[in-house]
Amino acid sequence: MPLTISIAAYFVAAGAILLLRDRAPRSVAIIAALPFLGQLVLVASNWGASSIDEEVIEWIPALGVVIGLRIDPLSLILTAVVAGIGLLIVIYSHGYFSSPSTRARFLALMAVFTGGMAGIVASNELLGLFIFWEITTIASYLLIGFDDEKAIARSAALQAILVTTAGGLAMLAGFILLAMESGTTTISEIVAAPPTGTMVTVALLLVFLGAFTKSAQFPFQFWLPGAMAAPTPASAFLHSATMVKAGIVLLLLLAPGFAEETVWQTTVTAVGLTTMAVGALAALRQRDLKLLLAHGTVSQLGFMVALVGLGHTGAALGVLVAHALFKATLFLVTGIVDKATGTRDIGELRGVGRALPVQAGVGAVAALSMAGVPPMLGFVTKETAFDTLIEGGEWVALAVIAIASALTAAYSAQWWFGAFGNEGSESRARVRPIPRSMEFGPGVLSALTVVLGLAPAGFAIAVGDAVGESVKFVLWPGVKPALVLSGIVLAAGGILFSVIRGDRAADRLPSRSTLRLPASDAWYVASLRGLNTTADRVTGIVQNGSLPIYLAVILTSVLSIPLVVWVVTWDAAPTAAWWHRPAEIALAGVAIVGAVAATRVQRRMAAALMLGVVGYAVAGIFVIYSAPDLALTQLLIETLTVALFALVLAKLPRRFGAGPSSLSRAARIAVATFVGVFVTLAALITTTVTPGDTLTDEYVANAPDAGGTNVVNVILTNFRALDTLGEITVLAAAGIGISALVLTGRERRRERSS
Amino acid sequence: MNIRFSPLLGTGTRTMVPTLVLFSVFLLVVGHDVPGGGFAGGLIAALALLLVFFSFGARGVRRAVPIDPDVAMGAGLSMAVLAGIIGAFFGGTFLTYTYASLTAPLVGEVKVSTLLLFDLGVYVLVVGLVATAILRLGSEDA
Repeated sequence: MPLTISIAAYFVAAGAILLLRDRAPRSVAIIAALPFLGQLVLVASNWGASSIDEEVIEWIPALGVVIGLRIDPLSLILTAVVAGIGLLIVIYSHGYFSSPSTRARFLALMAVFTGGMAGIVASNELLGLFIFWEITTIASYLLIGFDDEKAIARSAALQAILVTTAGGLAMLAGFILLAMESGTTTISEIVAAPPTGTMVTVALLLVFLGAFTKSAQFPFQFWLPGAMAAPTPASAFLHSATMVKAGIVLLLLLAPGFAEETVWQTTVTAVGLTTMAVGALAALRQRDLKLLLAHGTVSQLGFMVALVGLGHTGAALGVLVAHALFKATLFLVTGIVDKATGTRDIGELRGVGRALPVQAGVGAVAALSMAGVPPMLGFVTKETAFDTLIEGGEWVALAVIAIASALTAAYSAQWWFGAFGNEGSESRARVRPIPRSMEFGPGVLSALTVVLGLAPAGFAIAVGDAVGESVKFVLWPGVKPALVLSGIVLAAGGILFSVIRGDRAADRLPSRSTLRLPASDAWYVASLRGLNTTADRVTGIVQNGSLPIYLAVILTSVLSIPLVVWVVTWDAAPTAAWWHRPAEIALAGVAIVGAVAATRVQRRMAAALMLGVVGYAVAGIFVIYSAPDLALTQLLIETLTVALFALVLAKLPRRFGAGPSSLSRAARIAVATFVGVFVTLAALITTTVTPGDTLTDEYVANAPDAGGTNVVNVILTNFRALDTLGEITVLAAAGIGISALVLTGRERRRERSS
Repeated sequence: MNIRFSPLLGTGTRTMVPTLVLFSVFLLVVGHDVPGGGFAGGLIAALALLLVFFSFGARGVRRAVPIDPDVAMGAGLSMAVLAGIIGAFFGGTFLTYTYASLTAPLVGEVKVSTLLLFDLGVYVLVVGLVATAILRLGSEDA
C-alpha cells in the first residue's frame, strides 16, 4: 500500500504540525516536508513502470463505498506536479511567514490540501474521488480565508466554498447516475466500457458542473480571482498544481470513455473557449499583479478545458504541466515583489527590476513561457496545441485560441513590465532583503521550464504514456503553419501591449480605492441575496413568535402523515378489551380526573400538578403490567417535570391569562381533539395488532449474551444504542437551548433597561 | 428578592442527598440485570440536585456539582460516543458491546463493559442537563 500510505502521510503530518504549533519550528519544518518528499520518491521509483498498480480500501462495504487508488503514467505525472510544486511552496513559506505559529497553521492546511489533491489525481473510484475532492474544497476555504480578520478574505472564502461545493454536489449526483448506468464505481472500468443513453448525458452534465466550478470555468470563473485573498504561497499552489486543476484532472480521467459523446464535445469545448477569452480579456484590465495572474489562470484553464473537449488530451496535459510550472513561479515572484516593496500595484512599482535582478530574470522566464515564446515549455505545449488543431481542421477553436493567446502574450508582458519594467528611483517603496528560502522555489521552477522546453522528448513520452497516444512535443518543428501562427500571435500580443502601455493604460485602470472584491459577480450576489430574503420571509411565516401556533403546527403536522398512512391502509377497526385487571379502572379514573382538572384549573402551578397526577397514574399502570423500569422512569420524570415547572412558573403570572390568544378557543379545541383522538387510536392499534414475528422474543433470548438480564436496559444500551445516543444528543441540544433562551432574554432585558 | 431557606428542609436535604446519590449510582451499576440504568440513576441524582436547590439555592447547586453543567453534558455525550468507538475498535462496528473481565482485590472478578461506560455517559448527561436547567431557569434575574 505505498501509495495509500504516502497520501495518508499528508494528513498525519497535518495533525502532527497542529499539535506542535510553534513549539518546535525545526521539527515542524521537517514534518511538513516529509510527505511531499515521500510522494516524490514514490513517483521516482515507479517512473516508467508500465504496469498499473491498484490499491483498494473497502471503506463502507455495505454501501459499496470504496477508495481505490492507482499508480499509472497519468497519476505519476500529476502526483509529481502536485508533490513537487507543493514541496517548493513549503520551502518558500518559511521565508514568507515570519511567525512560527502562523506558519505552522499554514503548513498544516497545505498538507491537508495537498493530501486531498494527491488523492484526486490517484483516484480510481468515483466516491473516493469525491471525498478527496471535498477535502480540497474545505482546505481551500480555510486557505483563502487564512487572514481571517479581513472581511474580504472571509467573503472570498465563503464564495469559493459555496460555488465549488454546489458544483461538487451536482458532481456527486452525476457520479451516482454514472455508477448506476455502468454498474460499477471504478473509473477505469467505466471508461473501458462506457455506458450510453440519455441518463449518461444527464450524468455527464452534472459531472461537468463539478469540474467547471472547481476549475473556474465560465460562468463560475468569478470565485478564482477572489481567491487571491489567500496568502501568496497558497495562491501559487491553488492556481498551479491543485484545486483548479482538479476539474481538468477529472475530465482527463473520463475523456477516454466519453470524449466522443456529443454533449462532451459541444459543452466542454464551448465552455472552455468562452472561459479562455473572458479570462484573458479580464487579465489585461488588472493593475494588481496577483489579480492579473488570477484572471490569467482562468484563461489558461479554459484553454485546457477546450483541448480536453476536443479530445486532445495529450496537448491538454502538456499545457497543464507547463502552466503549473510557470504560474507557480509567477505567483511566487509576485509574492517576493510584494514582500520586498509592500505593494503589488502596477502603478506604484518603480525600479524593482534593478533592485531584484535575479527575480526579474526568473519572472521573465515564466512570463515568456506563459506568452508562448521559445524555448520555454509554454511555447512547446502551445505549439503542439496549434498543430493538433490545424491537423484536425478545428478552425473555430483555433481562431478563438489564437486570439486569446495573443491577449495572453500581452498580459504576460503587462505583468513583467508592470512588476520590473517601470523605471525610476525607489522613492515610493524601499526594497527589503528577501530570505533565501523564498528564492529557491521560483528558481527551480523556471529552470525546469527552460530545461523541459529545450529537451521535451522525455516529457513527450511520459505524457504520451499517460493519455495512451503518441504526443509530439518538439522545440523546433520546422516552418509549419503552427509556427507561423505562433509568430503572428506573439507579434499581435506585442503590438497590443505596446498600444496599451503607450496609452499609459495603468493610469486609466481602476485605482486602488475603487478595487472592489473582484469576485462580486452580479448573479452570485443576487442569488445569495435572494436566498437570504426568501429565508427571512419563510422564517417570518413559519416562526411568527406565537407559541400556540407553533404547538398547533407541530402537533398537526407530526400526526397528519401517520394518519394518512393509517387511513390508506385501513382494514379493520381495532378491537380491544376494556380492561384486563380491575385496578386499571381505578388508575384510569385518576388519570381522567387529573386530565380534566388540568384543563379546568385557573392557576398554572395547579395545572402542572394535575398533569403530574396523570403521569403518576400511567406509572401505576406500568406497575400493574410488571414493567418496573418504565414505572420507575415515569415516576422520576413526572416528579422532575413538576419541579422544573415550578422553577419556570415562579416567573410567570400565577393564573392563566384571560387576554387574547393568537389561536381562537375553537381552534385550540379542534387541535386538542384531533391529537387526543389520534393518539387514542394509535394506542389501540399498536397494542392490539400484533405482526407475526415480534422482536420481543429475540431480545429476551439474546439479552444475556448482550451484557445483561434486564431486557429494557440492554435494549437501551445495546440493541438500540444508536437510538439512545440520538436521544441523549437531543437532551444535550435541549440543554444548550435552555441556556441560549435564558441568556438571550437576559441580554435583551439589559439592553432595554440601559 | 430575599429568599430565606427553611432550616428544616436544609437539614433533611443534608441527610438525604448522600443516600440518594448512592442509590442513583446503585441503579446505574445494577441496571443491566435489574430495573435501573443510567437514565433512571441520572434522574435520581438530578432530583437530589433539585432538593439541594430548593434547600440552599443556586450556590448550593454549584457547590454540589463541582464541574460546569455544560461541561458535564458534553462529557456525558463524549463518554457515550467513546463507548461506541471502543466497541468499534474491538467489536467490529460502532456501539458493538465489548467487555473486559478484571480481577480486583477483595471484590473478585469484575466485568467492565462498554455498556457501563455508555450508561455512565447517559447518567452524567442527564445530571448535567438538569443542573443546567436548574441554574438557568432558577436564577434570580432570568
